[in-house]
Amino acid sequence: MSTEAAVELARTTRAGAGYWVASLRSMLRFDLTRARQWAAMMVIIQVLMGVGMALIYGFFYPRVSHQTALLITTGTPTLALIPLGFVMVPASVGQQKLEGTFDFTWSLPVPRSAQAVSTFLLFTVLSLPGAVLALVVSAWYYGVTLSVSPQLLPAIVLSAVMAVSVGFGMGLIIANPLLTNLITNALMFVVLLFTPIVFPASHLPEWLFAVDRALPFYNMAEVIRAGLTTGLVTDLASAYLILSGWTVAGWVMTAWVVGRRR
Amino acid sequence: MAAVAAPHPATTLRRGLPYWLASYWALTRWHLAGLRMWVMVLVVIQIMAGAGFVLGIGLFFAHIPAIVALYVCTGVPVINLVLIGLILGPQLVAEQKLQQSYDFVRSMPTPQTAAAMAWYTVCLLAGLPAVVVSLLIAEARYGISLTVSPAIVPAVLLTAFTGTMIGYGLGHAVPNPMVTQLVTQLLVFAIFGFTPILFPAWQLPHWLATLNWWLPFEHMAVIVRDGLTAHMVTGVASSYLIVAAWGGIGSAAAAWALGRRG
Repeated sequence: MSTEAAVELARTTRAGAGYWVASLRSMLRFDLTRARQWAAMMVIIQVLMGVGMALIYGFFYPRVSHQTALLITTGTPTLALIPLGFVMVPASVGQQKLEGTFDFTWSLPVPRSAQAVSTFLLFTVLSLPGAVLALVVSAWYYGVTLSVSPQLLPAIVLSAVMAVSVGFGMGLIIANPLLTNLITNALMFVVLLFTPIVFPASHLPEWLFAVDRALPFYNMAEVIRAGLTTGLVTDLASAYLILSGWTVAGWVMTAWVVGRRR
Repeated sequence: MAAVAAPHPATTLRRGLPYWLASYWALTRWHLAGLRMWVMVLVVIQIMAGAGFVLGIGLFFAHIPAIVALYVCTGVPVINLVLIGLILGPQLVAEQKLQQSYDFVRSMPTPQTAAAMAWYTVCLLAGLPAVVVSLLIAEARYGISLTVSPAIVPAVLLTAFTGTMIGYGLGHAVPNPMVTQLVTQLLVFAIFGFTPILFPAWQLPHWLATLNWWLPFEHMAVIVRDGLTAHMVTGVASSYLIVAAWGGIGSAAAAWALGRRG
């Protein structure tokens, strides 16, 4: 009878900052590999939608004045980020729910917080080229000269992180993917018509403007516009504050769903 | 041993006007029963979308020019009329193909023309409430006075017919349901923004305006406007012809697809 070596248990501890960072790296690699299938398509759709909407707004004006062109152009990155964060991200979450992807990834020996951070990072990075490209095309079409300041970077990154976080949280927290689809599409419609992204806020009745100030969309447009123009936007502090608040809300929604045992 | 009567084939003839009418009536009821919850939801969504557009467009301008308001208010009913037949119709057929109930529906002993007419009736009925509500809201919000003439009846009937038939052709003739979904989603985007329904054609780039002349959507808006206003549009006869021709093309595509042995 031969002696058998006892099965050795893993000696590494599955805890601590080092393990978390290693997990994040593995998850990023995992997510990136999966994203190869659709990432390019997503960026193309995002650019088409951003540019398309920027053109459409212009068609509604009998005469596009310089001021109108400037507002539409500086609103374009916001127009490109909103469908990505608030429609495509929740839709992808819905599809993953239907396919049972979460059951698989959540069973991996990786902290779920690292998984969520990896997803947020991936979508944020993927959303930026589309937003910038849409801006470039729109500025060219309307012949607008922009004065880009370094402020644009934090503005566009925070907007992207916020949109992805809230979109992801929304996708997770609403149980039925069909309902998510309905809500996100209705949201798009309302936001595109009733939020002062490409027209001045002074056109709105006071109560509607108050609602828009509390929601993230108008504030996205404000902080991004501040990075592209001078003297057009005031009161940036509150816009940044509200955007940060929505980002945290997205994280809380995500943490609440992801942290539950099933 | 009990005598068993031999089964004998049905003696009624499956053709003639009474049979056609009976099939039409049965299929209309069948659609309404199958979509019973959906029809209500769709009517509500249509009304909200129509009202949203009519009200939202006012925010684009500090003071909306009367002509802009008139264009939007007389264009929204066109979108209400075609949306269900053109967008939802193909999506329903695509869904049937995915769920494999398509062959079952096709195997029913009803004339294809009765089936098409039944579907047209359902689309028309589901679109009309939104048309009325959009127009009422437009009158209240912008103080527009419409001059409704009897021409509105053929205009509405033909617009809905052509929209429904293009959708019907698309749904039946395109074999891959995913392609249908994609095309219809592009169509929604294009109809709202890139066809001169809600604004005059000269606000589009020249090449796009030329392209639109060959498509039915601008002409649908022309004939509906002809029924709602006085002296706003010209060339109504050629618009009727083009819309009717597209209705014919849609019907022919559907007839071709349904006539094949699959």
